[in-house]
Amino acid sequence: MLSHVGMLSWSAEHMGYDLDIRSIGDPGFACGVPGGNALLGLVDAVLADGDLAAAQQEVRARLGDGALVHAAGVFGNFQMMNRIAEGTGIPIPKQRIDASVDQIEAVGLQRMIKSQHG
Amino acid sequence: MFEFDGSPVPVPDVMRETFIHHWDHLASPGATLTGPERIAVARAARGEPTTKAHPALLNLAEHLGTSPGSVFEPEVRAAADVVGDPAAVESIAIVSLLSCVDGVHDALGVDREPLPEPAPGDPTGDIVEGLKRRRTHVPMPQGAIPVAMDLIPAEGAARIAMSAPTYMPDDEMVHPDWSKPGGLVRPQMEVIAARTSWHNDCFY
Repeated sequence: MLSHVGMLSWSAEHMGYDLDIRSIGDPGFACGVPGGNALLGLVDAVLADGDLAAAQQEVRARLGDGALVHAAGVFGNFQMMNRIAEGTGIPIPKQRIDASVDQIEAVGLQRMIKSQHG
Repeated sequence: MFEFDGSPVPVPDVMRETFIHHWDHLASPGATLTGPERIAVARAARGEPTTKAHPALLNLAEHLGTSPGSVFEPEVRAAADVVGDPAAVESIAIVSLLSCVDGVHDALGVDREPLPEPAPGDPTGDIVEGLKRRRTHVPMPQGAIPVAMDLIPAEGAARIAMSAPTYMPDDEMVHPDWSKPGGLVRPQMEVIAARTSWHNDCFY
């Protein structure tokens, strides 16, 4: 989570997008990445039992058919990455957490810091 | 196999071929587990009942497969204490890699591929010696996700093979403007990565 929030901020800045990082924790905010809210909606539809067909159509309409199949691939990849991270227990150094306080608060990750240590 | 019937969009051949190759890997004897044991771990990860592997591995596989954010060190260490670190890592790899294949199906809204029939044969015993825990649940080299399963080289290689066609090649990670032709640009990929991790309570 924190790693890819960081990569999102870094890549969005490089691309000149007006990212609102709060959208990752609350998709009610406009993401600022082209098609970003449609992609958030796709993930939510899969993992929170939303209207998958509507979410797929939104991605196709905004970004194209190739974007939908790539989005499905990225989603699958992070289902994998999350399980590798949790299963093997890769830690995030305290210094990294301390340096990311603003992002942690903006996205609402405080609960995960607590849960990371059981 | 991997026809993706009912998918709203075509699935690239490279992704299908990667999954077909992975199914062969999944069904074959691993470093510590037989083919039938590996398929049993995969069944447990999908929440299906099975008794054909050690209960400690099946319990870990089911928990990691269905609720990854609530897996903590004591549970992983308890399984590793019973079956050994290599078998625990092999099981984590089976669950994780399967979740990629299943996740693509889920996002496309198509039925998951039936698990393969297990292949016969003995475990290979191909395990890296001398690794230790680095404030991690299992032994690994210094580093992060790319090396997390390197105790079992075949599983680390399988993770690399899976990442390129689904997300991006590992050696392109340093490029903030990388894009897949006809697909997403890097920030769009990271939106999906971050929101998926948010749902899974994965702080890393």
